[in-house]
Amino acid sequence: MRFRVIKAYFVKELFELVRTKIIIMPYLLPIMIVVLFGFGIRMQVTGARILIIDNDHSKISTMLTQKFQHSKYFNTRVSNESEADALREIKKANVDAIIIIPPSFEKNVLKNVKSELGIFIDASFPSRANTLETYIGGTVLNLANEMNMKSGVISLNNRNLFNQALRDEEMIVPGLLGLVLFVAPAILTALIIAKEKEKGTIFNFYSSSVSKLEFLMAKLSAVFALHSLNVFILFLLVVYLFDLPFRGNFFLYWLSSEIYILVSLGLGLLISILVSTQILAVVLTLMLTILPAFLYSGILMPISSMSAEAYVIAHVYPVMYYNHIVYDVFLVGNGFESTKIIEYLLLLTLYAVGFFLLGLLLLKKELKS
Amino acid sequence: MAYLKIEELSVSHKNRVAISGLNLEANKGEIIGFVGADGAGKSSALNAIAGVIKFDAKITFDNVVYTNPKESQKLKPVMGYMPQGIGLVLYDTLSVAEHLDFFADIRDLKKDLAFEEYKKRLLSMSGLSAFLDRQAGDLSGGMMQKLSLICTMLHRPSLLILDEPTTGVDPLSRLELWDILKQNAKEYDMVALISTAYMQEAQKMDRVLLFDEGKVISEVNDKSVSLENLFFENAKKNNKLLPTINISPAKNALKKNEVVMNAKKITKKFGAFIANEKVDIQLKSSEILGLLGANGAGKTTFIKMLLGLLKIDEGELYLLNKKISSANDRKELKSKIGYVSQHFALYDDMSVRENMLFFASMHKIDAKKSVELINKYSMELGFNDYLDKMPKDLPIGINQRFSLATAILHEPIILFLDEPTSGVDVIARAQFWKLLKELKEKMGMAILITTHYMSEAEFCDRVVLLKDGKKVADDSVENFYERFANAKNFEEIFLEFYK
Repeated sequence: MRFRVIKAYFVKELFELVRTKIIIMPYLLPIMIVVLFGFGIRMQVTGARILIIDNDHSKISTMLTQKFQHSKYFNTRVSNESEADALREIKKANVDAIIIIPPSFEKNVLKNVKSELGIFIDASFPSRANTLETYIGGTVLNLANEMNMKSGVISLNNRNLFNQALRDEEMIVPGLLGLVLFVAPAILTALIIAKEKEKGTIFNFYSSSVSKLEFLMAKLSAVFALHSLNVFILFLLVVYLFDLPFRGNFFLYWLSSEIYILVSLGLGLLISILVSTQILAVVLTLMLTILPAFLYSGILMPISSMSAEAYVIAHVYPVMYYNHIVYDVFLVGNGFESTKIIEYLLLLTLYAVGFFLLGLLLLKKELKS
Repeated sequence: MAYLKIEELSVSHKNRVAISGLNLEANKGEIIGFVGADGAGKSSALNAIAGVIKFDAKITFDNVVYTNPKESQKLKPVMGYMPQGIGLVLYDTLSVAEHLDFFADIRDLKKDLAFEEYKKRLLSMSGLSAFLDRQAGDLSGGMMQKLSLICTMLHRPSLLILDEPTTGVDPLSRLELWDILKQNAKEYDMVALISTAYMQEAQKMDRVLLFDEGKVISEVNDKSVSLENLFFENAKKNNKLLPTINISPAKNALKKNEVVMNAKKITKKFGAFIANEKVDIQLKSSEILGLLGANGAGKTTFIKMLLGLLKIDEGELYLLNKKISSANDRKELKSKIGYVSQHFALYDDMSVRENMLFFASMHKIDAKKSVELINKYSMELGFNDYLDKMPKDLPIGINQRFSLATAILHEPIILFLDEPTSGVDVIARAQFWKLLKELKEKMGMAILITTHYMSEAEFCDRVVLLKDGKKVADDSVENFYERFANAKNFEEIFLEFYK
């Protein structure tokens, strides 16, 4: 391996990226994805329009109504209209949910007799309806706790997710790092190798004594250098723009991110071996990275609750291993003490080395015939 | 033992044999030409010798044997290979100086005094010394090729392999390319293998291999032999001569020498760049007008304006004395013009008949008449046996005829041909010109043809020379020869304008 050859390609690559202005891409793309997705995906519900029909008019029913009125999650209106009228309001989409407090609600509650609240939720968006249901349940249980009621008196689903719910930013943004650092380095790698094939300059490699290792080292190191900076830019973005805590070890964050970039470079390299045009390189890389990194990374759906096939896919993609580490360093802070994290770190290293060796093996220093 | 020895070389692409049974021996300082049409197997042979494609052969160079690309790696330091395509190995955004540095680095050359001397010499021979800071993307085609060549020769390879280095390059740059090549190849005892589509360049080689359809048909040492004749003889021997052409005269042929199209002071600008500046041109019926010029001289832009495909920035265009101004006029213009593009814009997945029917319906010719026309032209142009074949299965000569027939289905009065003979073998080229002559005489068509083969200018009635977007000459071929009495051929006349 001759350092001079690598340096020549490395410098040439940077000149080209700067002069064709493609240098913007490695920085613009990740920032765009993190900002757009980070602000764009909202799973929590605020200001849901609730209509409460209080048929009891007692102290407890008023307390319950007030609980709803004081919550930022609800925009509450109390009314005396009939159930049928209220349902019509839901149909017109004027109201998101109706809560009907039955007559003698207070009497039953005080006697510890089971009492049922009627709840109607507009379920045209199922996931929003689910969240709303949980919130309403939480609010009611909150009251029950305050009044030291025996559980089960007010019949409701007893999942108390409400108070533990993370902010959306905390749920989603760390996962986006796993997305962008998987997509962006792969695209750039695939692009700068496919470009040489498409243009014909690949002949300079084919017809000279430049070795496969030198060629790959040069190409990959250029992309690696550019994206290493992203590790810091993304960190600042997450901590300052999205106001996330950072509870873990920065060295762990840095190390795992750099290894993860190497994994992505390897994937880009493998794609570039398959294709010979830039457009195909970009399309194929996007297809192979962005969707799986989003769907199977645990951002939207916990991996533990995936079906068998999805569970396997999620484990084949390296994204979930990195995401586990990133969630840890931002939100938990177990760091190197967790054996799982050490295990995942080693797995990522294995992916990186494996992809690179496979690429080195498959790369041919000759034309496809 | 010969310095370079190639035994039984063959290359296949998927199931198609590109070249087979090539044998060659060469000594130090020899320049060997590979001559033949596109698809004859030259590039495959050169790729194989350069070790950049899978092949079957035993190649010995300087006592080192290689039988596959992997084994050729040990010879890469002494090889120089320049693949086909203008500026193919150059990086658009790197400057001339940066290219030389890059190639010196990847070749791991010692930057001593001798190297600097050699580099300086290459730069001055190629006339690039003054353009060290210019980016490759901003160089002309000729300059790009010169830069590619000196980059390929920078490490003084002892085996130099060049695939059509001069194709598409203007005649002056072509001469310079040959100078650089010959002087250095001889001085440094290189073995040079050079392919070309220009028969005249064979004169500059020490020895020539003639390629046709994946075989070497002959090896020629004697420079007095006409290569064209050898190709004809080979075609005759293999029974490959195409059917004859017999066009029936058109009933409503135009009068001779009537001006059908008149372009006055036509200008086209792309930003600050002037592609065409005040070009006048007259097309007359029954006349073949050759539009000649180097790459980037503005030929294609000019044709596109005449076709109504590009807006004319300044100047006027008249068709049969009627000024073309509105969109409707341009539509009318298109219906009077037949166009054959550089790459025959035909559909590969439709048979010849289907292609022709499609183009006929595009010109709103009714079905019954279309069928009649297709039968008539396919008989007269001798491709009726091929009507149900796919375009890619046709011999190139038949492909040309059928493209031409398709372009004249709507009975245009003007026919535009954009480099129709580029990369076509000698025989097909000769036949094509015969066909054009028939069209001109029997149908009275005005024909405008662009070409970069200077030798073809001789077949035209009148020649217009473009240089840097301007018209520098417009005269009949006889008058050109009268004006430059010393010129042996049209290439020399052309050079007079380029000096």
